[in-house]
Amino acid sequence: MGKIKKKGVAGNARNFITRTQAVRKLQISLPDFRRLCIFKGIYPREPRNKKKANKGSTAPATFYYTKDIQYLLHEPVLQKFREHKTFSKKLTKALGRGDFSDAKRLEDLHKPRIKLDHIIKERYPAFTDAIRDLDDALSTVFLFANLPSNREIPAKTIETCARLAHEFQHLVIRKRALRRSFLSIKGVYYQAEIQGQDVLWLVPYKFAQNVPVDVDFRIMLTFLDFYTTLLGFVLFRLYTLEGLVYPPRFDKALDDKGAGLKAFVLEGKKVGQLEDATRGAVVATKDVSRQLETLGDKIKEIQEEEEDSAAAAVVVATEGENAQVNEGLDKFTAIQSKDGTTADILQQPNGDIDGNRSTSMFSDFTIHLSRETPREPLEFLLRSFGCKRIGWDAVLGEGSFTTDDRDPSITHQIVDRPPMVGLPPVPAAAATTKNGEDTEMGGTAASGQRGKVLGRIYVQPQYIWDCVNAGKVLRPDAYAQGAELPPHLSPWVQAKDGEYDPTAPVADNEESEEEEEEEVEDANGDVKMVTNGGEGVDGNSDGDDDGEEDEWGGMATELAGEGEEDDDEEEDGSAGAAQSDAEASDDDESAQLQHQRELEAEAAGVSYTADKKKSTKSEAKKKLEKQQKAREEELDRQKAMMTKKKRKLYERMEYGNKKKQDEKERLESKKRKIEREKSKTRKARD
Amino acid sequence: MATKAGSRKRSRTALEADKPVLSSDDEFEIPEINGHESSEDEDGFSTADEGSDESEELSDAEGSEDDDEIDSDEIPSDDDISHKPNGVTNGDLLDQEDAPNPEDNVKVVTGADGNPRYIYPEIDPVYDSDDTDAEEFNTIGNIPLEYYENYPHVGYDINGKRIMRPAAGKALDTLLNSIELPKGWTGLIDKNSGAALNLTEEELEIVKKLQRSEITEDGYDPYPDMVEYFTNTVEQMPLSSAPEPKRRFIPSKHEQKRVMKIVKGIREGRIVLRKPQSEAADQPEFYDIWADDAPPKADHVMNIPAPKLPPPTHDESYNPPPEYLPNEKEKKEWEELDPEDREKNYLPRSHKALRLVPGFNGFVNERFERCLDLYLAPRVRRNKLNIDPASLLPKLPSPEDLKPFPTTCAAIYRGHEGRVRSVSADPTGVWVATGGDDGTIRVWEILTGRQVWKLKASSDEAVDSVTWRPTAEGRILAAACGNEILLVVPPIFDPEEESHSKEILSGGFGYAANNQGGKEAPGKWSKPDSGLDEEGVVVTITVRKTVKYIAWHRRGDYLVTVSPDDVRRAVCIHRLSTHLSQTPFKEKSVTKGIPQRVQFHPSKPLLFVATKRYIRIYDLAKAELSKTLKPGARWISSIDIHPQGDNLIVGSYDKRLLWHDLDLSTKPYRTLRYHDKGIRAVAFHRGGFPLFCSSSDDGTVQVFHGRIYSDLMENALIVPLKVLKGHRITSHLGVLDVDWHPKQPWLFSAGADGTARLWN
Repeated sequence: MGKIKKKGVAGNARNFITRTQAVRKLQISLPDFRRLCIFKGIYPREPRNKKKANKGSTAPATFYYTKDIQYLLHEPVLQKFREHKTFSKKLTKALGRGDFSDAKRLEDLHKPRIKLDHIIKERYPAFTDAIRDLDDALSTVFLFANLPSNREIPAKTIETCARLAHEFQHLVIRKRALRRSFLSIKGVYYQAEIQGQDVLWLVPYKFAQNVPVDVDFRIMLTFLDFYTTLLGFVLFRLYTLEGLVYPPRFDKALDDKGAGLKAFVLEGKKVGQLEDATRGAVVATKDVSRQLETLGDKIKEIQEEEEDSAAAAVVVATEGENAQVNEGLDKFTAIQSKDGTTADILQQPNGDIDGNRSTSMFSDFTIHLSRETPREPLEFLLRSFGCKRIGWDAVLGEGSFTTDDRDPSITHQIVDRPPMVGLPPVPAAAATTKNGEDTEMGGTAASGQRGKVLGRIYVQPQYIWDCVNAGKVLRPDAYAQGAELPPHLSPWVQAKDGEYDPTAPVADNEESEEEEEEEVEDANGDVKMVTNGGEGVDGNSDGDDDGEEDEWGGMATELAGEGEEDDDEEEDGSAGAAQSDAEASDDDESAQLQHQRELEAEAAGVSYTADKKKSTKSEAKKKLEKQQKAREEELDRQKAMMTKKKRKLYERMEYGNKKKQDEKERLESKKRKIEREKSKTRKARD
Repeated sequence: MATKAGSRKRSRTALEADKPVLSSDDEFEIPEINGHESSEDEDGFSTADEGSDESEELSDAEGSEDDDEIDSDEIPSDDDISHKPNGVTNGDLLDQEDAPNPEDNVKVVTGADGNPRYIYPEIDPVYDSDDTDAEEFNTIGNIPLEYYENYPHVGYDINGKRIMRPAAGKALDTLLNSIELPKGWTGLIDKNSGAALNLTEEELEIVKKLQRSEITEDGYDPYPDMVEYFTNTVEQMPLSSAPEPKRRFIPSKHEQKRVMKIVKGIREGRIVLRKPQSEAADQPEFYDIWADDAPPKADHVMNIPAPKLPPPTHDESYNPPPEYLPNEKEKKEWEELDPEDREKNYLPRSHKALRLVPGFNGFVNERFERCLDLYLAPRVRRNKLNIDPASLLPKLPSPEDLKPFPTTCAAIYRGHEGRVRSVSADPTGVWVATGGDDGTIRVWEILTGRQVWKLKASSDEAVDSVTWRPTAEGRILAAACGNEILLVVPPIFDPEEESHSKEILSGGFGYAANNQGGKEAPGKWSKPDSGLDEEGVVVTITVRKTVKYIAWHRRGDYLVTVSPDDVRRAVCIHRLSTHLSQTPFKEKSVTKGIPQRVQFHPSKPLLFVATKRYIRIYDLAKAELSKTLKPGARWISSIDIHPQGDNLIVGSYDKRLLWHDLDLSTKPYRTLRYHDKGIRAVAFHRGGFPLFCSSSDDGTVQVFHGRIYSDLMENALIVPLKVLKGHRITSHLGVLDVDWHPKQPWLFSAGADGTARLWN
């Protein structure tokens, strides 16, 4: 006999700890525990055996991994929490005494400040780990950048978020890291590839966000604290790797004017600084402080510069690009030896990731954004794909390449309004000549009324997104002003086998159509699952299709017939008196009935062909049903032989597959219906 | 002074202790010394304060004198008083003896022994006489008082006078005393007075106090009220009249020094007062955390990274393909659902232009939910099986390979009124016998379904079991009807066979007569009534209680019956050749439960007895229990043994069919649960087909393929084949019995609906 094992000393009982126990062990309050868990990324677990983990009790409980909690015991943040507790005691005491100056002093000088650096390094030991976890951080930061400040959310937090968001966008633009984007009803999804990791984030549309009351902002802000810190460190690293100074220069005045991305100026590191890159913090902050001192002067300078140079950022970006070209890989070509044998050819990474996807597809374009288009996403998208000259209407904010919508250099204009009918087109050249006079008259609005400017392409915003997702510049015909847009599809959905693909044409054969038609004829018009078996009977309404139907049905009959004959033979052989079997009697009855009919028909002198057709059809149907039944029976038998566990698994899988299949069929039938209606209306128009 | 007082006290106690032994001379001398010393005393008083040395000297020098001095100390008018009593005593003594010398006080008489005896005068009890505590006490020592019981006295006092016994109360008093104890009664006799020792009120109080371990002093309060020396009332006047020190009015030098230090620091700029919290301090300082560029670590087993949110699908598009848009019905369905139950938190919508897209209402909520999920949701690693579900299905032999097995109802045998209880096929495979609730036994031709013979065995009892003798020769049908077992040779065979069968049966009549003497046999073998005799019944065996089941031995000489009602003789073995019945289990405790079914092993001398919960296998040759099977069923209804004898099927009323492999374990090898109601009967095919079946109250017969391999390592293969439906369920009863055709894969079933059926 083996050693008797004691209960509760190993395994589940030891590995897991309930939340109450954890809180008691750490001697902190539940909200503090929550914050600690958020910072440290500790999450509850689901033990294999809950009863064992809960020491025999079956009461519902939240379990944590015991070692997670053990590591929390010597967490510096925990110490900070305790310090904060004493601090808050002092503060309330001071306030209670009415000693406000003392309270102020305490608040200013003695408030413990929590640093999360070590947690970030601990949670993400490698840089790629941090990038991998950036999705939620970015989505949250972008959301907060768009939230209004209120009592719960300080304005400073929002400012920080907006700054981080812009900095990240700058980096993506500079690295040409954006891969895909998608306009959803929730907001705009972006996917970038940074350090080989896909980062997907969602940016809400520029509206005042509805802030629900049932959202606990303390939790959100705790997450945000962590995310801003994480993003800061990630951005620092990315900027440094890119040879840029972090944080980039921020122009408050420009930002107030709505310059958006333009309010930041990226600065390349000088040689000396590059060496210091790893030393990081001290150098960078010092630089910033020095820069801040001379900010006033610099702003003036910049303002002067702005008039002649398009944009400082763009210039920097181009410089960077040049550097990249120099740094880029050289093409290695294997030299053929004289005797004809070649060496091994190694694969070289391509500049354009994803093969033929271009990351600078808009580089030759000069694009003008109309008033009604969303500037931020378009600007970000266009810049990420190489467009350097983007102009927009003055109402959309500062930083435009040109505010003049009749600039002759504009190749594309993005419009999102229906076309004006009945206005003569304005040639671009004429427009420019008139430009001076118009501006004097202050008529940008008037120029809009003139209608289209010749020599440029008017496209709707979706064009840009579809181009980005396609990885190349598409034909703009379908996206012309006022045209009905093609559906905008998610670039992340790749239709697999057995899944619905909206781009693929639906099997549009007559059969299905006919089936559809019948469905339409149905009073309710409900979407039904029509099995093949049902078709044989229904088919007889159309005389034209009968031939086909027969063929199809006939084949089935052949298949089924073999089995049936065998059965019959057996039956005959075994017992002639077998009359009571339900199926057999059914067959017999039908046979008799048919025979009777034939006799009647003969008596009447009418050929029996039509009737025969019908009968063969019903026979085929019956055979099919029988086959189906046999298949089901076989399946039942097999299921009966499975173990319970396997059967459950099988049934679950079947359920999942069936759900997918149903969804596919539902979509297909809908599509068919829509297409038919379309064609009908088209015909009616003709 | 203190020392003096102390010494004085000491000396007095010494004096007191000496007193009893003081001689009369001493006493006489005392006054004189007193008188002499008293003058000195006064001097001593004046010198006492100035120098203690002298007085000590004095005390050291003259011990006795010192004693007297003490006395005079205590009572200032010592002279007069002390003299006076002495004078008085002297006077008294003089009165008695009129002798001026000290010896005059003593009266000398001649004692009984002739020697002079001094009788001292009574001492006047003045204060100083000091004989106070020596009251009149008995001097007899520790001699028990009983010794004096016969004397009028109880002892002697110090002077040798008798202490007279106090007058004893009358008898009535003693009686009263014995009835009503006087207060303070102790039941003791005072040795000194000889009277009853009663305690006074005060003494009793003292005793009580002692018992409570209190201090006996009268009026002593152990918890006196606290006297507050310092009250909390504010004194109007200062307690101390010391003037306020100066330091309380001038600033501290030390503090000034320290303040000046700070001031100097501030002036020099070392100390910055109210240093404004810089903006940057609030912000985390960023630096290159990953400068060391550590390689990514392999994930710990227990670390489960948060799953990423899935990317958006087509239907989330602002302009999705039209087929993704919900129709009215779907929209309504979505809206009616609780927000938590919705599969997606949005409804697909289509917008003609980007400018028409409104803000998404649940954006903050969605992010909040995600946050909650990240820190609140328990994470589990789930392995997803990416396989074709069809691969999970076991590979079964194709039904073609399993053929033949019964699939359809080929014939219905109608005729019984009421339920058909039992069905049995003839070993030749031509006839089938049935027994029913109407008390009839019927024999049918299998193929045609024609009833060829019928026997009304009883008018009120049901025929519970019919079985053919399983041998090639001798067509004998055993039927159980009530407490009778009928051994019948139906008159449907050719006469030769019939007569042979009858011979087998009637051959044992002689034995029965010989052997069954005085002892009452469990079964009574007899010839039937004339009516039954003509019908073909050859022998009837009468047992005590209703027989429910009959099973034949393979050779056809023995048959075993079960009558569960008979507690002691439930199982009964009958032998045809000798017409002898015996009960193998004399007591109920042997089988430990009421036997339900009994079977002989097809080849070995083993008897299987199925009780409600267990199946016990008895070795008949050794007459011992060889094995107990535990199917785990609640109530076994039927068992059957595979023709090869190593496997057993058990049907139970709790819907389970259990396959036991006797070589494997006492637990079932397979538990099959396909019936909706309790199982009534189970049967193996005995004619070479690997088939078995079970019948149930749900009206179905289920047919299984059960192949046994000769290789011991390979377990039996069980495949469900067919569910035969046809019998109607009448009053919750379905198919009551099943039997296989001896040669063909045909199945007979007996239903509660009054029919028996043939399936093929």
